[in-house]
Amino acid sequence: MKIDHSVPLEYSTEENKMKILGFWIFLGAEIALFSTLFAVYFTLQTNTNVGPSASDLFHLSPVMIETILLLSSSFTIGLGVHAMRLGLKKPMMTFFGITLVLGAAFLGVEVYEFVTYVGEGATIQTSGFLSALFTLLGTHGLHVTFGLLWGGSILLQIKKRGFTPETANKSFIFSLYWHFLDVVWIFIFSFVYLKGLM
Amino acid sequence: MKQLFPAQHVLGFLFSLLLTLVALVTVWFDLSFAAGLTILVVTAIVQASLQLFLFMHVKENAESKTLYMNILYALFVGLVTIFGTLFTMHWGYMVK
Repeated sequence: MKIDHSVPLEYSTEENKMKILGFWIFLGAEIALFSTLFAVYFTLQTNTNVGPSASDLFHLSPVMIETILLLSSSFTIGLGVHAMRLGLKKPMMTFFGITLVLGAAFLGVEVYEFVTYVGEGATIQTSGFLSALFTLLGTHGLHVTFGLLWGGSILLQIKKRGFTPETANKSFIFSLYWHFLDVVWIFIFSFVYLKGLM
Repeated sequence: MKQLFPAQHVLGFLFSLLLTLVALVTVWFDLSFAAGLTILVVTAIVQASLQLFLFMHVKENAESKTLYMNILYALFVGLVTIFGTLFTMHWGYMVK
């Protein structure tokens, strides 16, 4: 295996470069996936049946907390990758750890929100609007949940093996995934919540 | 300690919080639907680009041209999906 030392470790082999490119193509497919869910939501958002409408249901504070948590986690994982490039194992693990904690907190608020919605009689079966809403939010939340497991196992590998072309590559790809989830959330925040409250 | 917090990242983060506040204007003030939506579209696009260029390091990738093509293609597919759906299902292109 040829290691190119002129680039960061995560790009240092031919295979690593290919994996990063491949992951970007996967993210392209994820954009297509979330677009279909947004399309469904925009189509059904006024079909509220007997249930609440978007402006009845949404509250700004939990959504703001979720947004700030996810934006901060995106920042800390960025710092994690930066620390990794400086070759600092401990700070990198700390930043990745904080990222995962913030991600878990985000999920906690989201679950709390879902429970509140259902408590108000807004279930996934109540109306077309709510089916589309829960599917969109749920798919994003599922991605975050998967990210927690993925990120957690990467942290274990870094702890055991340190920075190698493989572990650096995995960490960088995971950071791409995490930033992508933040981007999706920005669109949910803007075009589902704020637009609904507007 | 200082080297762990590069200025670019910190400023980018503060800017992303600022963009969130700007987007909140649409809820706090009674704007027209068009004005509100314009603000949301602009802040969301800037916010997404910030992530893409600052945190996802698109530019430094040796294959950045391929990446841009891939992202643009995905966005094209996504926008056609969303607006094509709205066009047929919502704006009623057949019903006049």
